[in-house]
Amino acid sequence: MSLFVEQLINGCALGSLYALFAIGFGLVFATLGILNAAHGTYASWAAIAALAAVQRLGLPFPLAVLVGVAAGGALGVAVDQIAFQPLRRRGAGMLGALITSIAAWIVLDNLAGVATGQDSLSFPTDSYPGGMLHVGGIAFSTMQLITIIAMLAATLGMHLLVRHSRFGAAMRAVGWKEQAAAIVGVDPRRVVLATAFLAGAASGLAGVLGGISTANVSYSLGEGLMLKGFAAVVVGGYDDVRGAALAGVALGILEVMSAQYVSTSLRDGITYALLLGFLLLRPRGLFGGTSFVRA
Amino acid sequence: MRIAKGAALVAAMLLAGGSVLAGPARAAALAPGDYKVGFVAEITGPIAFAGKSFLAGAQLAADEISANGWMGKGTHISVLVKDSASDAARAIQDIHQFIADRSVIATTCCILSPVANSVKPIVASAGIPLVIHGATLPGLPAPPWVYSMTVLPGPKDVATAVKMAETTKPKSVTYFLAADNDAFKARLGAARAALEKMGVKTAGVVSVLTADTDFTAPATQAMGEHPDAILIYTTQAPAVGIIAALRQRGYTGTIVGNDVLSPASVFKKLGPAVVGIPFPIGFSSDLATTPEAKAFVAGYKAKFGNDPDIYSAQGYEAIWFIAQGLRAAGGKPTRATLAKTLAAQHEVTHNVYGGEPITGGQIDTAGTTIVAWSADGKLVPWTGAK
Amino acid sequence: MADFWAAYQSTLGFAMVNAFFALSTYAVLSAGMLSFATVTFAALGGFLGAQLAVHLALPPVLVMPVSALSGALLAYVVALLFLRLDSHWMALASLALVLITRVVALNATALTGGVNGLSVPLSLPLWVLAAILAVICVVFWRLSASWYGIAARAVREDAAVAATLGIPQRRIQTIAFIISGAVGGLGGILLALMLQFLSPETYFIDIAFTMIAAVVLGGSYHWAGAIVGAVVFTALPVLLQAVVPDFEKVANGICLLLIMIFLPRGLIDPRALRLRRARKAPSR
Repeated sequence: MSLFVEQLINGCALGSLYALFAIGFGLVFATLGILNAAHGTYASWAAIAALAAVQRLGLPFPLAVLVGVAAGGALGVAVDQIAFQPLRRRGAGMLGALITSIAAWIVLDNLAGVATGQDSLSFPTDSYPGGMLHVGGIAFSTMQLITIIAMLAATLGMHLLVRHSRFGAAMRAVGWKEQAAAIVGVDPRRVVLATAFLAGAASGLAGVLGGISTANVSYSLGEGLMLKGFAAVVVGGYDDVRGAALAGVALGILEVMSAQYVSTSLRDGITYALLLGFLLLRPRGLFGGTSFVRA
Repeated sequence: MRIAKGAALVAAMLLAGGSVLAGPARAAALAPGDYKVGFVAEITGPIAFAGKSFLAGAQLAADEISANGWMGKGTHISVLVKDSASDAARAIQDIHQFIADRSVIATTCCILSPVANSVKPIVASAGIPLVIHGATLPGLPAPPWVYSMTVLPGPKDVATAVKMAETTKPKSVTYFLAADNDAFKARLGAARAALEKMGVKTAGVVSVLTADTDFTAPATQAMGEHPDAILIYTTQAPAVGIIAALRQRGYTGTIVGNDVLSPASVFKKLGPAVVGIPFPIGFSSDLATTPEAKAFVAGYKAKFGNDPDIYSAQGYEAIWFIAQGLRAAGGKPTRATLAKTLAAQHEVTHNVYGGEPITGGQIDTAGTTIVAWSADGKLVPWTGAK
Repeated sequence: MADFWAAYQSTLGFAMVNAFFALSTYAVLSAGMLSFATVTFAALGGFLGAQLAVHLALPPVLVMPVSALSGALLAYVVALLFLRLDSHWMALASLALVLITRVVALNATALTGGVNGLSVPLSLPLWVLAAILAVICVVFWRLSASWYGIAARAVREDAAVAATLGIPQRRIQTIAFIISGAVGGLGGILLALMLQFLSPETYFIDIAFTMIAAVVLGGSYHWAGAIVGAVVFTALPVLLQAVVPDFEKVANGICLLLIMIFLPRGLIDPRALRLRRARKAPSR
């Protein structure tokens, strides 16, 4: 029984990383209409930046996380301005942005490889709270607890921002139709920048926490998050933060449980089959609303 | 014994280097000139960390061989590099370019077995020797064209597992397996059979995938089986992650690793978590005893500023083996005559292992050295004491 | 010259194989759909064809139609399922299909050889490859001028307008998928013959991304763009390796970015060609 509970916690912690990744990915997709293949590299670079902050500047854990999050956000904005803004100005469709995001992915992914010397690095064990907690015979690590709390806080914050603030209304307006939003007095440029930053920051948070708890700071960090985070977006629906977060956690639990009780070689198959099933049977995700299609 | 043999070899080497001494196996001295080896490198991509070591070792070997005219007066060997990023299609293109370059006399490539398998038929039909420097799949070598400089890890794994069982006497053990890697599947099978024969029960086999990054759940699963020892048969990244996760979750039993733990970067990353974990090793700069091995370590350090690892040793041996073939062939060797000469070699004479026999194009090393990382980051012989 | 030919013949070969994948991607794109499913069609065609060639010792000439047909059949099934989704979701679904393809390739050992991979001890002369590509080009050329080609263009430019013109969108897109499947399946077995070895990694996401990129780079409004893009994308890494060996991939990505920003309609753009012709022609 305690094994089951421990694995449940492991699944929640792993899923929280997917969730953090997914809410940013979904936000960009819903608001800016971009399928951003470079989203995973923000996580890798955030982890690299946080590691540098620890090793070069000797910053403590909370500040290092902050550095990583800021780095992820800044990178999100930079990629948006360099790779997406020129296309946006021209009114090119989603395909062009997908290609430039692939280009950004190739560049950032390979530069991340150069930055880590093609190696996988890890945070020094004394640079983060690395202990184990024992509650009634159940063991879990402090980092797992921190990851789950961070995910809950980010999801709640993002949800309140998107659904219950004036700014969120502006975001949704831009996501629906940019010109129309501009007509009613929303400044699309500000919305674009803020969305890109928030998405990059969420991915960055996933990167730093994931880089610490899996002892892996390298380009593969972002790639691993990318595939599963993408699945979470599809299952959860991209236009609702809660859906993406819930789906991320559920996928994490499913992954851990299917490895423990079914088979590791079928683990990813189960995840992706579920993904495809959702796409075909419920293509708007768990909380998906109605779509606006020109008749 | 080993040292004496090595010293004799060095003496022979010096003699041969200084003059045009004709050995019994040689018809004529090698014609002066620059002999080029095409090196398909993997210096970017998923396993570039190892790929760089292979290439560095090869470059050092070329420097040494050329510096004292080891193959004969006025002879040089040089390494031409093309990166494949571990992509089979790229490796094939690289090999075709080397084949087309008439000045390239031999090629060396491949860390990944699928890539090696793709390149193999091409070199055989084009007729150019290929020395595989990293891929571990049994059955890859096919003389006279294809040779492997990688010691087959299976027997060494079994010896390590048995020695661990003899010293620590575990009742039950759990295995970690890279389920998408058949070579490791076979290695685990061999070790498991040997241990079960000794009466060691198998508590369970925990599968992971080579591309996985999160090992908390697999570690929890393994510890849930309460084994006395855990044996790890995975590639490097998962092995490192598994050890980190096991130690973090407070596992105190014996952990047995495999040769992927030997590079210095593993200790740098894991620190105290990897100390005392036994694994078999073909070469380690800390345990270099023969003059060749010591010279290799010193030369490597002088050229690159860090210690060589097993990968650098394999890249180094690949070039030495080709040079040995060229010297033995003598005269003006072609790709075909070089292949014929290589097929006639029964050992790599200049080696850092203290003996490197070749059978059917596959090298081997004598005995199994079992080592572990010490607290100060050195590889020391493993004794079994905690 | 002979040396140059020998050195770069495999690059040319891979460029041609990639042209099949690019054409397969172009086939769906030209009917207004972004799909990565080409990888799945290629995997089926490649593994099935390789098994037939190895176990039944069928000659490549017989294997290729089987691969193309199996790809087309699979594409038909995929079309039935996917065409109910709207564009963004279909792109995502096809990406999921690619991920599932790899899991299946790893576990369906009877078909794929699993992690051991599959050796394909057959090779294909380059002129045969070139001849097949030429035939496919003729097909695409004829198609582009046919009723189907015009209807597909209309669906792509504006589905609503196409519908009012009485163009059956669903049927056009199903045909596009079937063409994509046939060409993708054919490309799959051709890649197998070029590599002479297949593993579950052979048909994965890299092909999907590079081929989409190749099509858009070459120009997604003309079938020749797919071929130009595939050639550029195959040759670029080889060239860049000579110039900037350490940052070859980074340079690759930057090239792609610049082309997309400054030549958004790709290298071959029928509209630009028409405009240029119109400008040159005496208009008064």
